Amino acid sequence: MFKYCKKMEYPINIKNKDLKMAKNLLAQYGGPDGEWAAAMRYLNQRFSMPDERGKSLLTDIGTEEMNHVEMIAAMVEQLMQGATKRELDEAGLTANYVQHDHTLFPVDANGVPFTSAYIETTGDYIADLTSDMAAEQRARATYEHLMTLTKDPDVLGPLSFLRQREVVHFIRFKELKEYYEKNMNN
Amino acid sequence: MYNSTEKLFEPYQGFIRGNMFKNLYDGYGPVYDINPMNEQAELLTYLDMFEFAMIDIGLYLDVFPNDKEMVNLYNNLKSEKKKILDKYEKDYNSLSLDSDDLNKMPWDWNKNPWPWEG
Repeated sequence: MFKYCKKMEYPINIKNKDLKMAKNLLAQYGGPDGEWAAAMRYLNQRFSMPDERGKSLLTDIGTEEMNHVEMIAAMVEQLMQGATKRELDEAGLTANYVQHDHTLFPVDANGVPFTSAYIETTGDYIADLTSDMAAEQRARATYEHLMTLTKDPDVLGPLSFLRQREVVHFIRFKELKEYYEKNMNN
Repeated sequence: MYNSTEKLFEPYQGFIRGNMFKNLYDGYGPVYDINPMNEQAELLTYLDMFEFAMIDIGLYLDVFPNDKEMVNLYNNLKSEKKKILDKYEKDYNSLSLDSDDLNKMPWDWNKNPWPWEG
């Protein structure tokens, strides 16, 4: 059962409009290594985890990723506040305007729609955890790319936080995989 | 004061880094402070930092469920979080549908601002 808590995991307060950065951040909304994909991947994979450690870790990381979906969405919304049609056009967001007005939609930075193929579930917990470790590393790299594209501390603070969460999640998945390799008869 | 161990950052330092565990911290550029714009945002930041510490230690305990020191620490953080949550909900607005402050009129849950509104 999921319950909403009416706050962000980490506060988002962006004062300056930046449409190019809004478009770039879509990578982590509807992209292959984005937060939507991560949340759905772990919450879907948890059913095939073989013990209490795995069921709890995948549930809790999947739940935390839902917080990150909300953070990225808030960042895109705030970066797009008050944009004119001309500004959207200049930032390459005209097509987004045509289909979604000023609001966001789960696509990546190139406008490619989200697909359930990103959810990567095999039913084999070693394969899934190995894939999850790689996904966390890809997301970390994406956050580093994003961090080189802005100087705004209102954007860098949350990106730095989100990047570090990828580091921590990678380590926990790795520890769980190593525990299973040692203790389970695969 | 919350850490009987040197292994962890204090809650605020861990929160702004996105990692409570000193040995796992792997930074990229500077650490960014949170700059709350008013008293409400400041109180919410205290809540955020205790909640974050619980999330991060919770993930550790999922994989290492027999660490008594960490279970104790989790419960200390939970007590601190509860005090701040009660004060925040009393002074400002309810943060969950389980809140003790939903007996006000009009219905307190739908009060602005919503989290994405900054």
